[in-house]
Amino acid sequence: MNGARSGSSHRFRLLRWSRRISQALFVGLFLYLFISTDYSGSDTINQAVNVLFRIDPLLALVTMLAARTVIALMAPALLVVFLSLVAGRTFCGWLCPLGTLLDASRPLVTARRTDNRTLWPWLGTTILVFLVVAALVRVPLAGYVDPFSILVRGLAVAIYPSFNAAADTFFTLTYQHGPDFINAVTEPLYGVLRDTVLPFTQHYFDLALISGVMLIGVFLLELIRRRFFCRTICPLGSMLGLCASVGVMRLRGGDDECGNCRLCGATCRMGAIDAERRIDMRFCIVCMDCLVRCPRQVIDFTVSRTGAPQPAISSRRRQLVAAGAAALALAPLLGVSRVRARPAGGPIRPPGALAEAEFLQRCVRCAECIQVCIGNALQPAWLESGFEGIFSPHLVARTGYCEFNCTLCGQVCPTGAIKHLTLTDKQTTKIGTAWFDTTRCLPYAREVSCIVCEEHCPTPDKAIKFQLVEVIDQFGVRVLVKQPYVIDELCIGCGICETKCPLPGASAVRVTSEGESRNPDSFLPQRSEDLGYG
Amino acid sequence: MHRRIFLKNMMAVAGLSATACVPRLVQAGVAPEVAVVTNGDYAALVRQTIDLVGGMSRFVQPGNTVVIKPNMGWDRAPELGANTHPLVVKTLVELALTAGAGRVEVFDYTCNEPRRAYQNSGIKDAVESLASGTVRLEHIDHRKFVEYDIPRGKKITRWDIYRPAMEADCYINVPVAKHHGLSGLSLGLKNSMGVIEARGRLHFSLGQKLADLATVVRADLTVVDATRMLLRNGPQGGRISDVKRADTLVASTDPVAADAYATTLFDRRPDEISSTVAAHEMGLGEMNIDKMRLLGNAS
Repeated sequence: MNGARSGSSHRFRLLRWSRRISQALFVGLFLYLFISTDYSGSDTINQAVNVLFRIDPLLALVTMLAARTVIALMAPALLVVFLSLVAGRTFCGWLCPLGTLLDASRPLVTARRTDNRTLWPWLGTTILVFLVVAALVRVPLAGYVDPFSILVRGLAVAIYPSFNAAADTFFTLTYQHGPDFINAVTEPLYGVLRDTVLPFTQHYFDLALISGVMLIGVFLLELIRRRFFCRTICPLGSMLGLCASVGVMRLRGGDDECGNCRLCGATCRMGAIDAERRIDMRFCIVCMDCLVRCPRQVIDFTVSRTGAPQPAISSRRRQLVAAGAAALALAPLLGVSRVRARPAGGPIRPPGALAEAEFLQRCVRCAECIQVCIGNALQPAWLESGFEGIFSPHLVARTGYCEFNCTLCGQVCPTGAIKHLTLTDKQTTKIGTAWFDTTRCLPYAREVSCIVCEEHCPTPDKAIKFQLVEVIDQFGVRVLVKQPYVIDELCIGCGICETKCPLPGASAVRVTSEGESRNPDSFLPQRSEDLGYG
Repeated sequence: MHRRIFLKNMMAVAGLSATACVPRLVQAGVAPEVAVVTNGDYAALVRQTIDLVGGMSRFVQPGNTVVIKPNMGWDRAPELGANTHPLVVKTLVELALTAGAGRVEVFDYTCNEPRRAYQNSGIKDAVESLASGTVRLEHIDHRKFVEYDIPRGKKITRWDIYRPAMEADCYINVPVAKHHGLSGLSLGLKNSMGVIEARGRLHFSLGQKLADLATVVRADLTVVDATRMLLRNGPQGGRISDVKRADTLVASTDPVAADAYATTLFDRRPDEISSTVAAHEMGLGEMNIDKMRLLGNAS
């Protein structure tokens, strides 16, 4: 008997090392794919960069419910469901990059308390029910709590660009003020960093602070309990936990005869082991710690559903009902948001974005498109399209424009909220229209020729043209100036004119979503058209 | 040949021969040489043209740092005529290497996204095909913009200029000849906008400002690429029907003369281009075609 037990201890140690190696590999792969979410010299991007969002069954379920359609791109999520039915929440313990990063942060933020009981263990399931019911009434909210959305968004719009800003500040300081012997070290180092981990150029984002704080907050919760987010909040984890609880794999915990050490319960990073040493498969992430730790080696795998009694931690029915009711109430509440009164004229969406309602139902706020946008044109929205549009991508043209020959955002969108357009389709997809503010535009307001906008207008038949006009300047002198104007039918709303306008503050040419091709109601009146006002 | 020796002597007299690269100032009263060559084989075309202006060893001494500044500002393919042709750039780099350059830098401060512009202009692949560690095709590093005085400037007296362009032993300006809505044409002086910061603000009174800039950003050699001429919808075009294939290069040590002659390829007069006129008035070079010494098979 003893021999068998030490043999299984060896096996468990091996499995625990396997888990650690798996975590390291997958977090490495994740970070590699994250950094690869960029232009690489080719017009097409490695399709694997968005894989995290396509294997996420929570996002798949909620998005498909909200959009009332099957999204083939997200089919790989079934693999994770299958894995959970067979092997419990192995995904959370062995693969999830956020979980791994939380584990890795433990030396920095450790729960000092000895109490390892999970706080509000019902909350994760409650959030899950809330999200699913909200999706049924077509309010998609999963992107706000999904672990990958929080992780990638936080990295893409906050951590990664601020890391670059810090590096840039440091290496600018050494370059401009450091002596030669310092630069002999720092300049090659900076070159290596730029070629490997640093982004190509500094990007700037709205909501960088909020996105960063959300992600850092998940790490700070470790101060309360290890894997607090995973135990108490993560709706994906709760979903996989439900799969695990109806699945085949069980861990047989301790029993009345195993003694009173309770090391297993104290060891468990998920608080999955109760005072009776029963292991709750809805929380167990198969990290192997308790199996290795148990002095008597009584914990082991079983496949029998009767092998372990279901522990007492249960979701409370009342909370679930309340969550569902709250979610149902959301639809009419959001429905009377002011932005609904006049849907046209909302934010400028990336080229290939579905019609606004469908777009918001599908968008999981993962920030993949925002990260890959080489022009730093896409920004996470705040309230421009209502509460339900927070973190969705929109184009802010003063600080970045949509590159004429680029189709990357549609290629990385994991849900098809942004269609993958061919280059020809992209170049004829109108996402908005440019408008001149003639009270600011120099040829109109200051009798000075400028037309930087016309110069940069990328359509082969330029959408911005100019006419030579004789005007009288402030000194009463007749001067010829080149006054630009927009041909609506040619303008695709890329925004390069607004980005490049050399006025110091607001641009004299601005792009709005009016006339966008995805919305037939947002048509622009033709010049010759009788508008019926007469 | 006599002319060049004469010129060198003049320079020595003027005490200006200290720099490795020959005439930075155009001598008044001396007709500048302008090479104009047409040839469909671009490698041969570049070699013929450079030979006519004295060969690369006239400009590049062994060990020199050479900057070759093409126009690769736009995310456009070579045949669309918005950027300098990659074969022209590549051959110039090869000639500089042969002349013994210690380091050859090729860069441009692009209008479109830099990586896309470098890639799709074809210049990245062309330069990298040389597989030479001596050649650097690097993106603009914003830390290297330094404020320089422009003492002779009439409209601008200080500007942030790219230090590698200013500190090169030899600066070869390789613009593409193309239409431009504001300035009429974009040629050599206009190409200098690719080495300065905050160029949006330069767009008012552009001609004089480009001339001011030319007093400090001085090309030792200007090679105007008119292999493809973008006739309309410049400076970035995008339609093959707007491009005329001319297979021609115009080269001169006189930046104004190079621009002025290239202007005539568009059937326009040099005095229509305000930067040419302003630079000529400042004594930076010759704009009167009759006062140039034209060399080559196309003139």
